[in-house]
Formats: sequence, structure tokens, C-alpha cells
Amino acid sequence: MSAPLEIEDLVAGYGRVTVLHGLSMTAGTSGNVGLFGPNGHGKTTLLRAMSGLVRPSAGRIRFFGEDVTHLSPQAIVGRGLIHVPQGNRLFPDLSIAECLALGAWTRRARAVEDENRERAAAIFPRLAERWRQPVRTLSGGERQMVSIATGLMGAPRLLVLDEPTLGLSPRLKEELAEAVRAVSAAGVPLVIVDEDVELLLGLAKHLFLVNHGTIGAEIRPGETIGHDAIMAMYFGH
Amino acid sequence: MQPLAEIVFGGLFQGSLYAMMGVGLALVWTTIGVFNFAHGALMMLGAYLAWTLTAAGLPLALALPAAILLMGGAGWLLQAGVVRPLIGRPNLVLAVVITTLAAGSLVENGVLQAFGPRSKQLPPLVEGSMTIGPIGVSLHQLAIILATPVVLLALWLFLTRTRLGLALRAVAQNEDSAQLVGLNVAALYGLAFALSASLAGLAGIFIGGYRFMSPAMGGDPLLKALIVVVFGGISSISGPIFAAYLIGFLEAFSNYAFGLYWTPAILFAVLISTLMVRPEGLFAPRMGKLA
Repeated sequence: MSAPLEIEDLVAGYGRVTVLHGLSMTAGTSGNVGLFGPNGHGKTTLLRAMSGLVRPSAGRIRFFGEDVTHLSPQAIVGRGLIHVPQGNRLFPDLSIAECLALGAWTRRARAVEDENRERAAAIFPRLAERWRQPVRTLSGGERQMVSIATGLMGAPRLLVLDEPTLGLSPRLKEELAEAVRAVSAAGVPLVIVDEDVELLLGLAKHLFLVNHGTIGAEIRPGETIGHDAIMAMYFGH
Repeated sequence: MQPLAEIVFGGLFQGSLYAMMGVGLALVWTTIGVFNFAHGALMMLGAYLAWTLTAAGLPLALALPAAILLMGGAGWLLQAGVVRPLIGRPNLVLAVVITTLAAGSLVENGVLQAFGPRSKQLPPLVEGSMTIGPIGVSLHQLAIILATPVVLLALWLFLTRTRLGLALRAVAQNEDSAQLVGLNVAALYGLAFALSASLAGLAGIFIGGYRFMSPAMGGDPLLKALIVVVFGGISSISGPIFAAYLIGFLEAFSNYAFGLYWTPAILFAVLISTLMVRPEGLFAPRMGKLA
């Protein structure tokens, strides 16, 4: 079986600004994948290219062996590559229940909608209490939960989380990390970007440092790495 | 008693037409964030399509739905031709003002070429008239007053109770997130324009049944729809509907109390003073939403 995610020499950016300079990685064969690296070095652009929001100018992205480089976001979601963007505002005036219903928009996802809704409610009991509440009235942490729950509704074969704990208080961060662990335990493979190194190390055994628009370092499963070594990679020597 | 009844009836009638026009404009604004200045031309095109079909011998009961369907297609084409290519470009709002004005002018002059300037009239929805209390009313106008809330209610139910309506409301709120749950944003934009054009076409058929039609007939309704939408708040569907009836009543009252020539000035005075107090519009919620 081919790897869930194979990226070859990916070049992408915005207008005249190139952010990714020939990035290559193969991921997902051995559990969750963590991406880390300094801000502004291409993590989010990489995720946006994977989900089709950014058109790569060169290179290739394969999802379970299928070339998805130039597919529309819609087609990519339909194949089960679900991207939960950073600081997602979601749909401010829709209720939680409506957001989740939209999450199951694709045909694949609709077939298992009820099942996934129960799963989401079990992982995020806080949301189940306020099903009819508009998203704009929720706190940042709760909105992040709706965002991930909406992603789960898409029946992900690979769930991509961009900074799920960004800007949250330590207590909420822990609650969300717990939820992300529960999502992973439910058998959904993750690609996760987060600045919280402890969270990454706890969730993913396969880590990539994204630096200057390429992969700066790869930590394979089995290789042990400490918090300090990662910090050193962030800041360079 | 009689003046009051005239004002109420006139207000309901004008309000219905304004609501029908304004809601289409608001639908496009809330989903795509652009103003469609071809909306008046679409209204006129709807009337002319229905006229062509009735002139070919079709009864209005068939010509009306057929014209509305065709208008849906016209709205879709307009979107694909002059709006979609500009999405994602800087200055989208201004560019679309220009492209839709151009498209509207093209449609208007195309109709002028094809049909000539001579005025035409559609058969009324319902023939005849009746007396309600102290006033006599035409059944056509009464039908419009009764049909409009039904159409608006159907639109509201579609937007709030169906999955497709949910998707339309979502794409209005966050395009990126809409794409990331797998919505076909281009198709939803097309749908918004198609619905909007159909509503405009229906308004055109309403108007064509009691007033003479001409290729330039869309100008004044477009202006009124703009007033209604700005007055009610451009970020929702319900705001313009309330505003449409309010303006309809205001207009009917002003026509009676101050006369026809003063009415536009009074309308604008009310609009401007409202906007000075509530720049977001009279019924606007704090954030953009469709229903």
C-alpha cells in the first residue's frame, strides 16, 4: 500500500512570493505525523497546498498513491484528506449542529454522518451541551473544538490539524490536547502542526522540521529526541 | 377611512415589489459580497422573456415558470461571465460594479435591438378587480401582495431548512472553510446568482402585468432595491424585506400627504438620516448573515 502522504519537490507560494522551495516528505506510514518549525517558514502553506487552497507551481502531492496536486479542494475533501485550518473562524452565524452537518457534506462523509456525530459528541462533551448555539458566541477554545469536530464529520482518512492549541490558556490547551489524543485513539491518522512541542512529542512519533520552505530535519519513529533538541532546531545553533 | 385603506394597499403593493427586488440583491451581496448592478436589467429581461412566451401563444401560467427558469440560467451565465473571473482579485467590489453595469447595459440595449422601443404589456396574473371595504383594487395587485410573502417564505425555508440552503449561508460567511468542508464554492455562487435573477425576473413579470414594459424599465426598481437593501442593512435577507415594506408604506403615505414629486426627496431624506444614526442599516445584525 502506498503511503498516505507523499510530497515531492513541492514549490508553492502566493503571487510572486514563493514559500515552499522544493519540499519533499513521505508520511503517515507509521502513525501520526508532527510538523514543527519557526513561523513563516511554510508549515501553513504546505497544509494549504495539500488541501488545494494553494496551487503548487511545481512538484507533486500523492494521497494514498493518487496524485491530488491539481485537484480542487472539494475533490480533495471528497477523498478524505481533511484540513482543519489555523484559528478557524468557521461559520460565525451557524450553530454547532449546522457546522457539523456541513462537515459531512461529501457523499463519503454523509454515509457515516450519524456515527461521526456521536463520535464527535463523545470526544467533545462540551459541544453536545450547546448544539444549537451560534459559533460566534463560543470561546476560542470551544470554536477550535467545533472546528476539529467539523473535520471529524468529514470522515477523514487523514486529518490535518493546523495549530489546534494556538492562543489557548494552559487549561484549555490540555483539554484540547486530550481531545486530539482521543481523536487519534479513535483511529484517525493525524498530521499535526503545533508550537507545543510536548503535545507533538506525545502524539506523533514521526516529526518533520519545516524550515526555509523545505524539510530541515526528519525524526523517524524510534529515534528519540528531547524537548531541548527540538528547541535547538527551532532556533538553530 | 378611504385614504388610509389606499395607503395600506399601496404600501403593501409597492413593498411587495421592493421586497422581491431587494431580496435578490441582498442574496448576492450576502453570499458573494458584491452588488449586482445588472439586477434591474435582469428584472426587465424576465418580463420580456415572459412576454415573448405569451406572445408565442403560451398561457401566462406556463410562461411565468418557464421565464423564471430561463432567468435562473441567465443569472448563472452572468455570474460565470462577469463575476466569477474576478473573484480573488483585488478591488473585487468595484470591478463587479463596473462589469455588472456593463452587462446590464448590454442586456438592456440587446433587448432594445431585439424588441424595439415600443411599450409592451404582459397579461395580469389575475384578471379583474374587486372592492375591499372602501376601495377598489385590481386582482393582479392583490395577487402580488399575497404571492410575495409566500415566495419569500419559501426562500427563507430553503435557506434555513435545507442542506443546500445551509451551504449557501455558509459560503457567505467563510469561503476558505466552505472549501475545506468540500462545498463547491463556484457552483454556490452560480446558484446565488440564479436564484437572485429568478426573483428579479418574477418582479419583472409582476410589474409588466400592470405597467407598460420598456427596455429601460429596470432602472427605477434597481434604484429602489438599492435603497431598500441599504436602508434595511445589506448583510441579511430579512433586513431588506422589512425595509421594503416600510419604504412601501412610507412612499404610499408620502404620495398621499405630500404628492408624487416630493416622494423621492422624502425617501432619500429618511434614508440618509437613518444611515447617519445606524450606518449598518435599520435591521442589520452585528455580523453578516443570510437568514
